[in-house]
Amino acid sequence: MPTLVRDLEIAEDDWRLVDEGPSEPGLIAPLDAWRENPEGAGVWLRSDTEIEEVAGEVLAAPVVAVEFPAFADGRGLSMGALLRARHGYGGELRAFGEVAPDLAEYMHRCGFNAFVMANERDAKAAIASIGRMSDHYQASVREPVPPFRRSTA
Amino acid sequence: MYQYSNFDQRFIDERVEQFRSQTERYLAGELTDDQFQQLRLRNGLYIQRLAPMLRIAVPYGILSATQLKALARICRDYDKGYGHLSTRQNVQINWPELIDVPDILADLAKVQMHAIQTSGSCIRNITTDQFAGVAADEPIDPRPWCEAMRQWSTFHPEFDWLPRKFKIAVSGAESDRAATHVHDIGIHIRPGKDGEPLFDFLVGGGLGRTPAIGARIRDGLPERHLLTYLEAILRVYNRHGRRDNKYKARIKILVRAMTPEGFREKVDAEWERLRDSPSTLPAAELDRIKACFQPHPYASLEDETDLLAAERLANPAFDIWLRSNAAPHKRPGYAIVTLSTKPTGVPPGDVTDIQMDAVADWSERFGFGEVRISHEQNLVLPDVPQRDLAALFRLAGEQGLAQANAGLLTDVVCCPGGDYCSLANAKSIPVAEAIQSRFDDYDYLHDLGPLDLNISGCMNACGHHHVGHIGILGVDKRGAEFYQVSLGGSQGPDASLGRIVGPSFSRAELPDVIGKILDVYLQSRFEGEDFLHCCRRIGIEPFRERVYADAG
Repeated sequence: MPTLVRDLEIAEDDWRLVDEGPSEPGLIAPLDAWRENPEGAGVWLRSDTEIEEVAGEVLAAPVVAVEFPAFADGRGLSMGALLRARHGYGGELRAFGEVAPDLAEYMHRCGFNAFVMANERDAKAAIASIGRMSDHYQASVREPVPPFRRSTA
Repeated sequence: MYQYSNFDQRFIDERVEQFRSQTERYLAGELTDDQFQQLRLRNGLYIQRLAPMLRIAVPYGILSATQLKALARICRDYDKGYGHLSTRQNVQINWPELIDVPDILADLAKVQMHAIQTSGSCIRNITTDQFAGVAADEPIDPRPWCEAMRQWSTFHPEFDWLPRKFKIAVSGAESDRAATHVHDIGIHIRPGKDGEPLFDFLVGGGLGRTPAIGARIRDGLPERHLLTYLEAILRVYNRHGRRDNKYKARIKILVRAMTPEGFREKVDAEWERLRDSPSTLPAAELDRIKACFQPHPYASLEDETDLLAAERLANPAFDIWLRSNAAPHKRPGYAIVTLSTKPTGVPPGDVTDIQMDAVADWSERFGFGEVRISHEQNLVLPDVPQRDLAALFRLAGEQGLAQANAGLLTDVVCCPGGDYCSLANAKSIPVAEAIQSRFDDYDYLHDLGPLDLNISGCMNACGHHHVGHIGILGVDKRGAEFYQVSLGGSQGPDASLGRIVGPSFSRAELPDVIGKILDVYLQSRFEGEDFLHCCRRIGIEPFRERVYADAG
């Protein structure tokens, strides 16, 4: 059963993702439907969405869900990073689709804070994978300062 | 060479444990084959035709004696006593057991080595000139920036799941020994007005099914911007590179589709948003890395012109070896020596554990304990005192590592081919062997002069046949193995792609075909004109005529 991880914990999913409109409060709707009726609804984006074209609109959404259509498709990572770091999105950023536990850490570093996992075992594995590496070489959404700019005191 | 900081060491130690846990989850059935495939590929572990293959990273081709001895031990303990030098300056072992791999990685971590990102659709091992830091024709030593890029590209949060593999090569020398024109990104470092390093970027070069020479998209970028500019290129590629067809997923296809100008504009627009961000390299960090690459404590030696002249006269074999296998060093009295792994009958690039141990010993005795791997799959001792060259030649001969063929016809670059690789259309190693057997006279080989022969067993072009002066490609013709021959490719500063001579040949025909091609060259060349330039001058027709003359 799909299991939601939110902020590093297994959580009750209070949203329902739908493939088509109409958009209603409590639903995560596809972009076109959401545009018709954004009130109280979340929006989900395909992995080929030009984030610059929609960032302004979706900032107001309580949930933005990004689709990962295949296990190794990293486009959503760039979308997440841009949405958070460049456009300043502050709501729930959710990964859904083919979300493998071992990719959750990359997603987390790119600003995702919620993951729809295939089952509870994968949800636990995803939580365990995040933070297994105590530090990384690069700047990221989570750690905007790369190690070489931190004081080593 | 680079010494790990505490940060680096902790990082790879944790990585070993991460991979161990992934392997355990796989063996426990918690990960599917497909899921584990992507994870093991991020760690250089392939499941090949006969057994797993583990590709160990050798960042920009530099090893310490200690590391080479550790590799020898791993080949002995976990493999059949030999390893294979790859065209990305890495080392591959062909017979490890999956269950042993975490332990192998733990052994590697003890000597500051790993297998991170040696395969998979991510940024691969960054390669450079095998003579970096010691070459006489090199204004700027590229290694500190290679290391900065190694760190930056390791588990990048955004760029580890790209449309396809991504290869970066760097050169700071006048001769381009790193094949920068045929990489996803090729970087030339050159001194600016005040000697400060400036970076020129080529993008979209590559071999494979759609060979392409990289397009120049940025000139003279100051060093502090290196990482943010790379970030801009990779972001454009990650977002817009094709993912629907793996044969159209490399950045070269995107650059071609957008045109180089269009691609550059997109990168520049992205970079405007990234420049001067915290990933800008501070001078202190570059200084920290550069300190690891300070010149060794060289003795003040003189060039041993007289001694070498006498030794060469006394021993013609030594003379001919020096001509092909010793290169000029930055420091007087020293030489750079290439130890050829290409005797006849051994797959090019294969090295035994005993040879590895011996080379490690020589690197300490005749140098500063450092060894290089070239992308032509040879070993290099970078700091040999000229007065010790004769002694080294003798020892290398005892270990079968003194072939006088570096840069010559029989210094074949060759993929593992159909003997090992499940992708290959045809075998490549027996082709190399047949040509090496036919042309085994050193006087003839040296008379032919510089000649790159590259053999790939399939269109994936792991043997880089497109940039061989002579390139051979294995093709499948109604289920039989055939070979296409191309001429005039080059990987150097004037890089070019070879042109196909004509219909393909059977394996048995190849040595004769090569012989005819060489005859045309020898009869047509001007005094001092090498094969490549002769081929460019006279064009492909004279070769074509000769090769197919008997075919009616």
